[in-house]
Amino acid sequence: MTVSTTDPRLLVHAYVDGELDPAHALEMERQFASDPALAAERDRVEALRRAIREQLPREAAPAGLARRIETSLGRQREDARMPSHPSWLALAASVVLAVFLASGATWFVLRPDSANTSADMIVASHVRALMAPQPFDVASSDRHTVKPWFSGRITEAPRVVDLADQGFPLVGGRVDVIGRAPVATLVYRHRQHLISLSAVPGGQTIAATPKEIAGYNILSWSENGTVYNAVSDLAAPDLETFAKAFRAASAER
Amino acid sequence: MGSLSSEDDHARFRSVVLPHLAQAYTLARWLTGDRADAEDVVQEACLRAFRGIGGFSGVNARAWVLTIVRHAAYTWLGKNRSGSLLMVDDLEAVERKQAGAGALSEQAPETPEAALIAKADAARLEAAIADLPMPFRETLVLRDVQGLDYREIAEVTSVPIGTVMSRLARARHRLIARLGTEGPRDAS
Repeated sequence: MTVSTTDPRLLVHAYVDGELDPAHALEMERQFASDPALAAERDRVEALRRAIREQLPREAAPAGLARRIETSLGRQREDARMPSHPSWLALAASVVLAVFLASGATWFVLRPDSANTSADMIVASHVRALMAPQPFDVASSDRHTVKPWFSGRITEAPRVVDLADQGFPLVGGRVDVIGRAPVATLVYRHRQHLISLSAVPGGQTIAATPKEIAGYNILSWSENGTVYNAVSDLAAPDLETFAKAFRAASAER
Repeated sequence: MGSLSSEDDHARFRSVVLPHLAQAYTLARWLTGDRADAEDVVQEACLRAFRGIGGFSGVNARAWVLTIVRHAAYTWLGKNRSGSLLMVDDLEAVERKQAGAGALSEQAPETPEAALIAKADAARLEAAIADLPMPFRETLVLRDVQGLDYREIAEVTSVPIGTVMSRLARARHRLIARLGTEGPRDAS
């Protein structure tokens, strides 16, 4: 068996768990057909999963647990309502504190949140694409095919560069919806990993250094007023290499 | 900040947290290994969830609740069973050792028939899972008992998806090796 970057022994589990994209699932099925040891491994993992499912059924919470929890939360509220030693000073202090917390907390919650939300949406688009039969709407490794495809669908076609020589072949493109705006997303591949690169004109830089969201890395940078967000399950350094390659290639043109 | 927002919090708690109570309890039971302890952990986790309900992003309630339960369970284990906490603190070392030394030996000769594994009964499965080191156990339970996907498990256990995959593979290899070698007549 040829040794690839990801151990097929690990991929057996992802296959059984339905976590592989269709292309890799097919590739695994080819490997099962040619490698009886790997197929036996799949059978063992499936047998184990079946045994757990059948022998250890999901349990209900103990009777009355929900009620006991609600009661204890209710008591919390009573305690909060009736301070044991009410005094003007304490009351005044708590008002000051509450005002301080309310203003500070609101700022604290809202500011990072707007960036977080679009980061979450971009990661969610990537994950949704991985779950779809195809992670792209147009499949092509030719940038002269991908770029015109966008022209008909989006006001500003993204910059499409060919990075096959740097180890990141283009595999296609799709349109994601981030917030309410359609956004052009290019799909590149690096070994078995897919990279979604969305170009948001006038967007805000979400993660200037690689940031992890739900197990995916996201990295963004800005070029000529367009913010590029790269999402992948690639390790952070590899994603940075990709970003560097993309920026270098687009600077040449 | 009067009783009104408190009423809101209660309503939110009921709709966000309570639907996942059974899963919260299941995770707590596998982490503590005891039903009564699991109830304590879930009660504490619910208190934390109630206090933090305003910070819930609204995306994945189950993953959010299970993350809190896991933290509460680890706190509880640290307080009540410092022995197992040592193991928890050591989890990355356990895994590194596995990855370094065991990668080959772990998968080499143990190739039991799938049929033998399928015959494992509840008691043997329970015991085998309970004996897994914590990081492997929680990953396996979240996936195979509770049905979370890799992304959710990565969120709950705050590790990258690649780590989820390798922990899950190692947990399953251990179970397969054990269930495949112990004969069914080994009652314990």
